[in-house]
Amino acid sequence: MINKKFIAGIIVFGSLWGFAECIIGSLFRDANLPAGALMTGIFAIGLMTLSRVGFRQPGMQTGIGLVAGALRFFNPFGGCFMCSAIAIMAEGLLFDLIWTGFSLDSKKTQSLTNQVSLGIVSTYFVYVGGYLVTQILTPVFSSASFHLENLIAFIPQILASGLLAALIGSVSVPVVFSVKRIDLALKDRLYYPVTIGVSAVCWGIVITNTIFIVWM
Amino acid sequence: MGKDRLLPILALLILLTASGSSFYVYATQTTTDTLLVNGQRYTIDQLFSLAQPRVLNDSQYNGIALDDLMLKTGVSHPEQHTYTLRGADNYEKTVSWDNMKNGLLTKNRESIFSDLPNAFRVKDIVTIEVK
Repeated sequence: MINKKFIAGIIVFGSLWGFAECIIGSLFRDANLPAGALMTGIFAIGLMTLSRVGFRQPGMQTGIGLVAGALRFFNPFGGCFMCSAIAIMAEGLLFDLIWTGFSLDSKKTQSLTNQVSLGIVSTYFVYVGGYLVTQILTPVFSSASFHLENLIAFIPQILASGLLAALIGSVSVPVVFSVKRIDLALKDRLYYPVTIGVSAVCWGIVITNTIFIVWM
Repeated sequence: MGKDRLLPILALLILLTASGSSFYVYATQTTTDTLLVNGQRYTIDQLFSLAQPRVLNDSQYNGIALDDLMLKTGVSHPEQHTYTLRGADNYEKTVSWDNMKNGLLTKNRESIFSDLPNAFRVKDIVTIEVK
């Protein structure tokens, strides 16, 4: 039987992440801020951790990544948007694999050391994984084709660039665990109106923004 | 030992790897005023005096035509080669002759291609290698 609450959770968290990537990510890039590290360390990891701690369901973050990536398709700006969309989907899958691989759903509480470590490990792998996927797919989808030597030469930079994201993740994950301790659970009668409403607002803003940019 | 007990060790290894990579990147970063094009060194002003100007995206980007630059620096049978543009930070991209015909090199030593995504904008180029 399909768990409707679970599906609604995937849609709302995915929509929030996709909205952040399309709208807030663009603002960060325009301000010359390290958008990739900030987006992964704060929004991607924050939302995926919150959803995982809340639902404790393997597979959920893969779904969230699929929804966020789908929303990125509706914002066809900023280089290879198809590559960005696929990278977001890959990030969701990576988070899912890390959390499941370390059997983190079995424990109700995590020590602060584990929370910080989880922030570093998951953010670093998600960021570096997404970066690698983008570096491989962008040439593949272009007329220049992929050259492995280009990627190998840039591996040290990719590994180095994940440091900032990992440090941000080491803060954002414990913050999410603290927020979760405050009971933010929605009352059942409000759950669906709020999740559907928030998702609709996210999709509406991204699509309106796309139409606005194309017409202007 | 539970798997979750490995987390702090893995986190520490990640921080060491990322920090080590940062030091490596910093130590290997190239600083030069010249560009190595097809095996010969040029200043950016010399290259601008060699090749034809090119403008892309309604004058948004100005520079010199990359295809003309290759011809002027002695590349023969250009369509039989690929071209690797490498930045001071070791970021590099390899493109075809068809791409070079739609590309330019700016005064800031950045490559811009009208037919390729932003990932092919190599900044602070130090080498253009003909393969």
